[in-house]
Amino acid sequence: MLEIDGLVKAYGSNQVLQGVTFTVEPGQMFGFCGSNGAGKTTTMRIAMGLARADAGEVRWSGRPVDDAVRRRIGYMPEERGLYPKMKVGEQLSYFARLHGMDAAPAARAAEHWAERLGLGERRDDKVEKLSLGNQQRVQLAAALVSEPDVLILDEPFSGLDPVGVDSLAEALLVQCRRGVPVVFSSHQLDLVERLCDAVGILARGSIVASGTVDELRSGAVGRQLRVVVPDAPDHWADALPGVRVVSEQRGDTVLELAQGADDQQVLAAALATGRVAHFGWREATLVELFRDAVTATPEVAA
Amino acid sequence: MTAPAHSDVTPNSPARMVRLVAGREISTRIRDKGFLISSAVLLVLIIGVMVLQVVLGGGESTTRIGVVGGGQAVEQALEQQGELADSQVEVVALGDDAAARTAVESEDVDAALVYADGARPELLVVSAGGQPETLVQNALVQLSISRQLADAGVQLDTSPAVDVVPLEDGGDDRAQATVVALIGVFLLYFLFILFGQFVAQGVVEEKSSRVVELLLATMRPWQLLAGKIIGLGVLGLLQMVVLAVVGVVAALAFDVVDLPGQLIGTVLTVLAWFVLGYAFYAAVYAVAASLVSRQEDLGSVLTPTTILLVGGFFVALQAAQDPFSTLATVTSFVPGLSPLVMPVRQAAGEAAWWEVGLSVLLILAALVVIVRIGGRIYSGALLRTGGRVKLREALRAER
Repeated sequence: MLEIDGLVKAYGSNQVLQGVTFTVEPGQMFGFCGSNGAGKTTTMRIAMGLARADAGEVRWSGRPVDDAVRRRIGYMPEERGLYPKMKVGEQLSYFARLHGMDAAPAARAAEHWAERLGLGERRDDKVEKLSLGNQQRVQLAAALVSEPDVLILDEPFSGLDPVGVDSLAEALLVQCRRGVPVVFSSHQLDLVERLCDAVGILARGSIVASGTVDELRSGAVGRQLRVVVPDAPDHWADALPGVRVVSEQRGDTVLELAQGADDQQVLAAALATGRVAHFGWREATLVELFRDAVTATPEVAA
Repeated sequence: MTAPAHSDVTPNSPARMVRLVAGREISTRIRDKGFLISSAVLLVLIIGVMVLQVVLGGGESTTRIGVVGGGQAVEQALEQQGELADSQVEVVALGDDAAARTAVESEDVDAALVYADGARPELLVVSAGGQPETLVQNALVQLSISRQLADAGVQLDTSPAVDVVPLEDGGDDRAQATVVALIGVFLLYFLFILFGQFVAQGVVEEKSSRVVELLLATMRPWQLLAGKIIGLGVLGLLQMVVLAVVGVVAALAFDVVDLPGQLIGTVLTVLAWFVLGYAFYAAVYAVAASLVSRQEDLGSVLTPTTILLVGGFFVALQAAQDPFSTLATVTSFVPGLSPLVMPVRQAAGEAAWWEVGLSVLLILAALVVIVRIGGRIYSGALLRTGGRVKLREALRAER
């Protein structure tokens, strides 16, 4: 189990992290979300020993993460980085060796991962000669080549086309099935929703919501009802008791019902306006959950 | 679920980490065109200097003089004159007047003496003036005098040979050693700049390509720094040794130097100073380079160090001319300048052993300081990309 426990970090007067805590189980895919500058990269850098926390600790299997453990972590930094003039195969086996493999197994692993990520024929090319998409694959291969026990990936999906996203997602799921905990940050919340077993939302330096997407949903404020009434006049639902209009666009209305409000009363009011094209409870998307969590007042978040 | 097993993976020791980094530096650099070309240029340069020494009269010149008739007395007299004039004379016997003309015209000989025994000897040359003329003139005068003396019945005692006593201890050899040291210092200067640049470029390449973040996730900054400096240093030392061996062999083969013992001693001194000086400059260059993120910005941070290096080189040139000067004495103790100046003073026989020892201690002390402070700057600046990092910021930024 990977535990991020109460990380605090300030750069000068800028309090970046104020107690970030979450855990990732073996085989779990953890999506790490947060607005720009929320501290995702700082959290990951601290886990990788690239920045030092003012307080708090990162543990793996109950043991604080030190240099030896860190070499068992596959890492993909937000700023992608490879030696531009080094050949793909040599580069991968170099990174494998830096993670503690001997020369021969490292060369085998490099070959294996290049092959698996569709880089087999580019193994003898210099990285700078590859397309950006292929460079991204090399970057991922560099994180995976040492068969790590933990994967920490900062924005791994950014800059990938849909096909690239799918093949990366597949590669990560394979790692999860091996029992590797995978943490990745992303702005693509639909992707996070689709892939992740658990999600953590970081805002103002701490985790404001975490758990499975379903858990987050159940904790969401209020329930939303979508009613499509093409013939209704504007503001048709404004007067209904216990109902707040979230949005209204040519009859496509999203309503938020307070506790105890009667949905059948809403249906009756809708029917009164004429034809009802759609009437149903709406599942909050992660985007909405995220927005709620991030915009909530700090008191609520804490 | 349990974590997967890894039979192939063992944690790296710091030494292994440094070795891995050094190995990568060597294997990439040795295939680098810039490195290969500069090595070839240096090699050609060294051999060129030797050849130039030979051509420019480092070796003795030979004058060929053709003689028609004359016999052994004339030949001996000519050779004797040649020795006095410090040049080798080769006497070529020619058949007759016509043969002499052809030989001179075809420049087979520098001059031809005809009717050597007669009262009116003639000297055939391409154009009048020059060494052969004086040589032949003197030889004939000498011959004539001794013949007349012999005719008059005077018996000559052999004239005493003059013994030359140089007052300065090994003066001539010292001069030669100084020249060798100067060539060595030139090489040091060149290689410090070359490998300093290699180190600096490598540091910036890792920063600008951001690969440094991936590297630092597996190792400490000092391991990266040490591996880089040691790897390139091994390569630099190898190059220096190759140049030294080629230089020494060429010098002995071309007969440029008289005393192989002294030559090799000086070469070894230069090699030792290479190690110290390289460590000094490579560390400074690496730390300076860590402050910038783009190759274009390198110049601005490297300039102060390069000025020190150029200054050291010029002081070394001056020291070769006057090893006793205060400037040379003082600078041979200044870390950074000492690797360029001290070898020259040592070759000139001007430096006492304790002076050399003190100078080595000083540069070692400077190295410790640089590695300490520089290591902090380096690790503080490595993960900061963008503009130029200020020294003070880098020192404060403790990861």
